[in-house]
Amino acid sequence: MATVNGMRGVSRVPAYVVMQPTTLCNLDCVYCYLPLRAQDRRMPVEVARAVAADANVWAARDRFSVVWHGGEPLAAGREHLGALMAPFGPAVEQHVQTNATLLDDAWCEFFAARGVRVSVSVDGPEDLNGQRVSRAGRPAYARIVQGIAALRRHGQSFAALCVVGDPRPGVASRLYEYFLELGCDTLGVNIEEREGVNERANAHDPAAVRAFWSELVAAWRADPRIHVRELEWSLRYVGAVLDGTSGDLLPRELDPIPTVGHDGAVVLLSPELAGFHDPVHGDFSSGNVLQAPLSELLVAPRRTSWVPEFLAGVEACRETCPYFGFCGGGHAANRYFEHGRFDGTETEHCRNSKIHLLEGVLDHVRRP
Amino acid sequence: MSDALDRVVDRIRDVRGELAPLLEEARLARLARSEVPGADSSAVCAWNHFENIPTFFNWNNRPR
Repeated sequence: MATVNGMRGVSRVPAYVVMQPTTLCNLDCVYCYLPLRAQDRRMPVEVARAVAADANVWAARDRFSVVWHGGEPLAAGREHLGALMAPFGPAVEQHVQTNATLLDDAWCEFFAARGVRVSVSVDGPEDLNGQRVSRAGRPAYARIVQGIAALRRHGQSFAALCVVGDPRPGVASRLYEYFLELGCDTLGVNIEEREGVNERANAHDPAAVRAFWSELVAAWRADPRIHVRELEWSLRYVGAVLDGTSGDLLPRELDPIPTVGHDGAVVLLSPELAGFHDPVHGDFSSGNVLQAPLSELLVAPRRTSWVPEFLAGVEACRETCPYFGFCGGGHAANRYFEHGRFDGTETEHCRNSKIHLLEGVLDHVRRP
Repeated sequence: MSDALDRVVDRIRDVRGELAPLLEEARLARLARSEVPGADSSAVCAWNHFENIPTFFNWNNRPR
């Protein structure tokens, strides 16, 4: 068998850092994994300054991004988010992942002035968007659409992330048509995951999930204007298999993806672990940027108790899973929240979002 | 075990002919996307499509 290289150990230098400007979200989506989203705990500017000290150095050497994530980052307000962004130099790409409900002309001008790249969270047309609700339980769809209209009015390009709770035939083509109409450049399709405070089961009929992905390929093929993350990677992988280069497709090392919480605590590899506590692994954190530079916290990731167990899990995937060259190993949070530990292998997330995806692409080309 | 690990790769190779048009369409789609006016400032960069999507949308080992 050809050796699958890559994903061996954790890089000391990340390609991006996820920042939590506030824990607060103005929505209360049914599937959300964040435990503190009803509380407004704001990131002090000192935390951003501490991260920027390293980020500005990394960005001078290579592409580097900051992703402002939540809670809902816009709930921090323009003045505070601007103060948090200010320490990062122009070489640092800034991205924001937003639920779009607070977007208006003033926010669009704020993003344009700073070159911030925007990605919105929306799950498709109104009847597929019912899980995204306000604190009062009311549908947020009308406000989401209003916010996206502001982006379009300002000519601001945007990406979209879509959560699919019920992947089955009939859904994918409707979704793709919707996102074509919406006008996003890039789309990520996330089958709902069981993680954090979202304990809803995520097992689905395998045939239905495969048919969902297969249908998405067909819909995309009819009008491939959107970069669909899952399809691009699938096609890149099968192309590399056919070229005989798939063994070198994965990144050489895992990106540590430090998530910096509102208080400066750093959680590696899976933002979904931030804010949780485990009897053995504590709060999963690898330190705090207010006590040590981020670059120093990334020097020895194996010192964080759960990371060696996770890396053993990645190696177990490499040894046992025929999809490893495509997937690179299950994510830490999926392993933990599905298996209760980090060194298990195949998860429901693996099946829904990796295995059935690749099989759906193959089903599509095999169809009569 | 080795045979079992190779089975996905083998099945991809089995449909090489059927995949070829799809891969070509994907290549052309990337070119077309990079040619849209204002591509320099869009989420997709003009000169190297795949590597220049927002890093947040990287496939492996990414937050969601």
